[in-house]
Amino acid sequence: MSALLELRGVRASYGGITALHGVDLSVSAGQVVALLGPNGAGKTTTLKVAAGVHPADSGRLLLGGRDVSGANPRDLARAGVCLIPEGRGVFPNLSVRDNLLMMTFTGRGREEIEEIAFARFPVLAERASQAAGTMSGGEQQMLALARGLATDPAVLLLDELSMGLAPLVVAELYEQVAEIARQGVAVLVVEQFAAAVLDIADHAAVLVRGRVERRGDPDAGLRAELSDLYLGSAR
Amino acid sequence: MTSTETRADRFVRELAELKIADPAAGRSALWLRLGAVLMAVGPVLGAAAYFMSHGTTDPLAQRDALALGLAGVCASVVGSALFLRYSLTGFLRFWMARQSYDLSVLADRLPEKEKLQ
Repeated sequence: MSALLELRGVRASYGGITALHGVDLSVSAGQVVALLGPNGAGKTTTLKVAAGVHPADSGRLLLGGRDVSGANPRDLARAGVCLIPEGRGVFPNLSVRDNLLMMTFTGRGREEIEEIAFARFPVLAERASQAAGTMSGGEQQMLALARGLATDPAVLLLDELSMGLAPLVVAELYEQVAEIARQGVAVLVVEQFAAAVLDIADHAAVLVRGRVERRGDPDAGLRAELSDLYLGSAR
Repeated sequence: MTSTETRADRFVRELAELKIADPAAGRSALWLRLGAVLMAVGPVLGAAAYFMSHGTTDPLAQRDALALGLAGVCASVVGSALFLRYSLTGFLRFWMARQSYDLSVLADRLPEKEKLQ
């Protein structure tokens, strides 16, 4: 299957500061691609460009083989691109049920959304009436993922899923992500902590200072090189 | 849609049908500027119409001035509407982002408070 998401020579900047210097990346249906790199490497910017939230200065964004550079992010979201941002983006003062209710804008009914969410994350059913902000970080991340799944995504973009979570919770969440990918969703995961995601990734790319410095299968070789790439001693 | 169609196939089909507008990041700014210009043009046309009608005793020219004055009123009304529409959109977006940020900060503080008690 050809790539569902493809970035070709994408350059992006914030004001006069260039964050991405020609990034090439592709994710096929059912594939999990891990985008790794140290702080400030441009990982989140790459996700934002992929979701259409941040405009690329040059280069192309292709979805399903079609050039959608400059398209409205709302149109892309409606078509099936789902970005789960760092910090989860749940409404902390709303209950789990109300957070899920917010996703009815997608055209799905409340019952259907709850069925999808509670089947994948049973703990959310137990916490249905609890305010999202009072749940643990892992449970909030589950809620964020459940809300994303309610949009019936074809391309799932995850930003720092493991942020502030215990390793066991992270492993559980990534197992769910792998399961989502097995259902044919193209998943691009941005992670600072490589070990968490490499176990489930089919492919990995390491971004350093806005450039993909290394890409390939998440094998032992890549794991060994990561610290060098992070610390800038490679090349 | 066929029953054998996968999510990826549907995604490709829906994207093919998607009407992608031209990159229009600067369009709202353009409308905002146009609104401001029209708002300014309105009073100028009104003043011009006033002096035009007072500078002549020709009824035909005075009727032209009347039309010019009305055009000024229209320009001001349309300009104000455009300006309000696009400036309010920007402000409300900012307000929503601010609300969302405040709520998430509050949510972070709540568990800290509970720990202290």
